[in-house]
Amino acid sequence: MSNSSKPSGGSPIVGIVIGAVLMVGGMFVDKNFHPEFLEKLAQQGIPIEPGKVLAAIGVLLVLFPLVNLFFVKPLQEAIENRTNELDNTFSEVENLRNEMTQLKSDYEKRIAATEAEAREKIQAQVKEAQTLRQTLMAEASSKADELVKQAQVEIERERNKVLTDLRVHVVNLTLGATEKVIGANMDTATNRKLIEEFIEKAEVTA
Amino acid sequence: MAHDSRVARRYANALFETAQKYNVIKSVEDDLAGITSLLDGDRSFHDFLLSPYVGREEKLRICEKLFSDRITALTMQFVRLALSKRRESELKAVYSEFVELRRLSEGVLFVSFASATELDKKQREALEAKIALTTKRKVEAEFLVNPSLIGGVKATFENTVLDGTVRGSLKRIQESLTHDVLKQI
Repeated sequence: MSNSSKPSGGSPIVGIVIGAVLMVGGMFVDKNFHPEFLEKLAQQGIPIEPGKVLAAIGVLLVLFPLVNLFFVKPLQEAIENRTNELDNTFSEVENLRNEMTQLKSDYEKRIAATEAEAREKIQAQVKEAQTLRQTLMAEASSKADELVKQAQVEIERERNKVLTDLRVHVVNLTLGATEKVIGANMDTATNRKLIEEFIEKAEVTA
Repeated sequence: MAHDSRVARRYANALFETAQKYNVIKSVEDDLAGITSLLDGDRSFHDFLLSPYVGREEKLRICEKLFSDRITALTMQFVRLALSKRRESELKAVYSEFVELRRLSEGVLFVSFASATELDKKQREALEAKIALTTKRKVEAEFLVNPSLIGGVKATFENTVLDGTVRGSLKRIQESLTHDVLKQI
């Protein structure tokens, strides 16, 4: 959009000088030069003043570079600056847009990578969990088997203990009953016989 | 208060040696037996003699009055000594130790017979004779009655027990059966 306008023609100083010469020349002509045909024309209602025309042309030639210098040029510069600024802004915007696009692309890539990584991690965790589950199940099963075996041994031991207790209890009951029967049937004669037997059989081993 | 058997043994030893020297062992033993039976049988005398609230002089005075004309001079002297040394609680233990020393000195074997009913004289003599014969020692016996033995007799001496009671037989059977039962496991 840059539309750089360069000053056309020669140097403005040349124009100003020519303008000034024309102005002075015009003034001189207007004062000193009054040809007859011009006066005739003026009398006929057509006033032509060549000196003033020359002076007006000279004023225009002087004014034009000045206007150009003090008004058009700064305006052009301002427009150019503004154009450059806009260009810069647009360029910056473009850069930013590119950067954003790049960032977006990077972000998307990163998201994709993260997702992939997460998926991998999840898969690994799932696999680990499955392995752990299998190990735990195996351990639990082994422990359960061991407990069952232990319980069986314990049951067997308890059974034997109860049986032994029962037998001992039966022995005690039997002997208790025997003691009662013997006690009830014990008389002096029997007792005497027992004492005699003791006296007869008692022996002390050295 | 728990008796210190070492103290009683020391007193008994000294008393026994002195009695042996003067040949009054039997008299001293009888005296000590009398004092011990009085302590066991008479609660008030027992409490008086062992009371910490009664003074030594008072105990000595009463004992002098009670025993001086009934026991030998040596026993009386021992009683005085025991009271003056506040060893009246050791009297029974001294008697036991004295008897032990006398039996040891004479080579006498002390046998304790236990039976369910009272034994008659003939049975007692027969039992004593049997133990004397088998141990070839002079026997001194005590006879206890224990109805829980049901029948028969049991002799206990030194480290030996001869059990001829029904209770003992039943116990042996019980032990044998229990042993057999436990062996089956």
